[in-house]
Amino acid sequence: MTARPRPNRTAPGRGLERAARAAAWGCALAATLPVAFLVGYLVYEAGPALGGGLFFGDVPALPAILGQRPVWDGIWPACAGTLALVALTSALAVPLGVAGGISLSLFARGRRRRLLRLGVDVLAGIPSILMGLFGFALILFLRRTFLPQANTCLLLAAASMALLILPYVVGATAGALDALPDAMRLLGPSLGLSTWRTVAGVLLPSARRGIFGGVILAVGRACEDTAVILMTGVVVGAGLPSGLFGKFEALPFYIYYTAAQYQTPDELTRAYGAALVLLCLAVGLFLCARAGSRLLEGRYGMGEMR
Amino acid sequence: MNAGISPGQEGGLPPDAVMAVRGLGVSFAGRAALSGVDLDVAGNALTMIVGRSGSGKTTLLRALNRLNECFDGCRTTGRVLFSLDGHPLDIHDRAFPVTELRRRVGMVFQTPNLLPLSIAANLTMPLRHVLGMDKAEAREAAREALVAARLWDEVKDRLEAPAKTLSGGQAQRLCLARAMALEPDVLLLDEPAASLDFMAARAIEELLSGLRERYALVVVSHGLGSAARMADHLVVMRRGQVSARFAAGDLARGEALAQCMEEVF
Repeated sequence: MTARPRPNRTAPGRGLERAARAAAWGCALAATLPVAFLVGYLVYEAGPALGGGLFFGDVPALPAILGQRPVWDGIWPACAGTLALVALTSALAVPLGVAGGISLSLFARGRRRRLLRLGVDVLAGIPSILMGLFGFALILFLRRTFLPQANTCLLLAAASMALLILPYVVGATAGALDALPDAMRLLGPSLGLSTWRTVAGVLLPSARRGIFGGVILAVGRACEDTAVILMTGVVVGAGLPSGLFGKFEALPFYIYYTAAQYQTPDELTRAYGAALVLLCLAVGLFLCARAGSRLLEGRYGMGEMR
Repeated sequence: MNAGISPGQEGGLPPDAVMAVRGLGVSFAGRAALSGVDLDVAGNALTMIVGRSGSGKTTLLRALNRLNECFDGCRTTGRVLFSLDGHPLDIHDRAFPVTELRRRVGMVFQTPNLLPLSIAANLTMPLRHVLGMDKAEAREAAREALVAARLWDEVKDRLEAPAKTLSGGQAQRLCLARAMALEPDVLLLDEPAASLDFMAARAIEELLSGLRERYALVVVSHGLGSAARMADHLVVMRRGQVSARFAAGDLARGEALAQCMEEVF
C-alpha cells in the first residue's frame, strides 16, 4: 500500500476545501448515525427477549431444531423458513441470473440486446407486491386448469422471489462483464480456447467481484422482502417448512404480523428479537458470501489484486 | 467467404512463406480499416509492420488469427492462406477450425495480458484445454516454455504465486512463454515492448531475435530504431494499405531507412 496523496494545504481556495471536507464528513456521519441508532435501538428493545426461549419457547433446543417437537412460542420455525426460502430462491435465481448476464453482455447483439436489456430493467422496476400477486394469480390459474390441488407453497414463494431478485443478478453480471477491457475479452480466443472455456475460465473469474456484489444484494433482498411471500405461501404457525409444496413461516412476516397483532408487551419484545435475528442473518449471509469470494480469489490466485 | 483452395491451384503459398495475405480488406461497422493488403509471412524470419497509429497495423495482425471477428460489425474480405495438414487453405474456410488456427498463430498483446490465475496455471490451463495435455505433461511443457522465454530462473520458486505479482517485463515474457507453449508456427506480437521500460524492452527484443529460428514472427512496432535492428522484412502501413516494403539488406543502407522515415512520419 502506498500513502495517499494529501491535499495541498497552501493552495488557494483553502476555505472552500475545508468546507467541502466538513460536508463530506457530515454526509458520512449522516449515513452511518441512523444505522448505529437503529441497531442500538433494536438491541435495547430486543434485549430482554434474547436467549434460547426466543427461538424455541419452552421446548428443549435439540428436538426443536430437529423438528421432533413443534415450537409454538419461538421464532425457530420462522428462521428455518427464511433460510429455506433464501436457499431455494438463490438456487433458482443465481444460476439463471448469471447465465442471463453472460448472454446479455457477451452474446446478445443489436436489437435483441436492447430488448433484453429493456426486459431486465422493467423486471427490476416491478414492485414486490406485484410479484406476489403474480405468484398468487399463477396458482389460481393452475387450480382452475390442470392442477386443481395446487396451492401456495414454499416453491411458489421462492419462484416469485427469484423473479424479484433476478434482475439484480443479471444486471450485476452483465455490468461486470461489460467493464472488462477488450484485451481481456480477446485473450481467451487468442489462445485457441473454446468459447465455453473463455467464459468459464477467463471472463467470469475476472468479473467475479462485481457478480458477487450483485448476488449479495439480491440475497439480502430475498431475506427481507415480505410482500412477495405474503401472497404466496407464508402463514403464521406453519411450523418448520415441511417441503417444497408446504406452507412455511418467515422472519419478516413474523415481525410484520406480530407488530400489527400483538396482545402483550412480551410479544412485541419477541418481534424486536426476531428483527435483530433477521438483521444478524442478513449480515451472516453477507459474511458467508464474502468468505466464498475470498476462497475463490485464493483459487484464482488473485489475492494481490485490489 | 470463398471456398477453400485446393493444392496446386493458383493462389497457393509462395515458397518460403508460411502465410500469405491476398487482397485483404477489413471494415468495422462500415468503416474500412484495411483495404487491398497483400503480405507474405516468411518462415523463420521476423516481419515487422510499422506505421502511424491508426494505420491498420493491429488490425492486420489480428486478421492473421481472425481475432477481428471478436468485435461487433467486423467484415473481412480477401484471403489469408495458411497450411492445414500440409495443404494451403484460406483461414476463413469452414474446414479450418478457428481454435486450431489461433493455437498455431499465437499472439502477444501490447500490454501483458494475464489470465487471472497463478504463474504456472497461466501456461498449464491453455495447454490442458487446447492441447488436451494431462497435468504432468502440461507442467513439463510449461517449464520448457519458461526456459525458452528466459523466465524460468526468475519464477521457478514461486510458480504458484499470482501472475499479477510479476513485473511488466516478466509478465510480457510469461505471455510469450504461454504463446510458445502451444507450439505455434507463427507468433504475432503487437508492440510487445511498448509498455515496458528500456531494459525490459531490450530484453524482449533480444529474445525475439533469437526466436526467429523456430517461428515465423510478425511484430507490430512504432519504433523505427528497433525495426532497423531486428527486422528481416519491413512493411510500412499507411491509411489501411501497405505503402512500402523493405528487405533486411535495404535497411542496412541509410537511404532506405530515410525513405522509410519519410513514409512513416
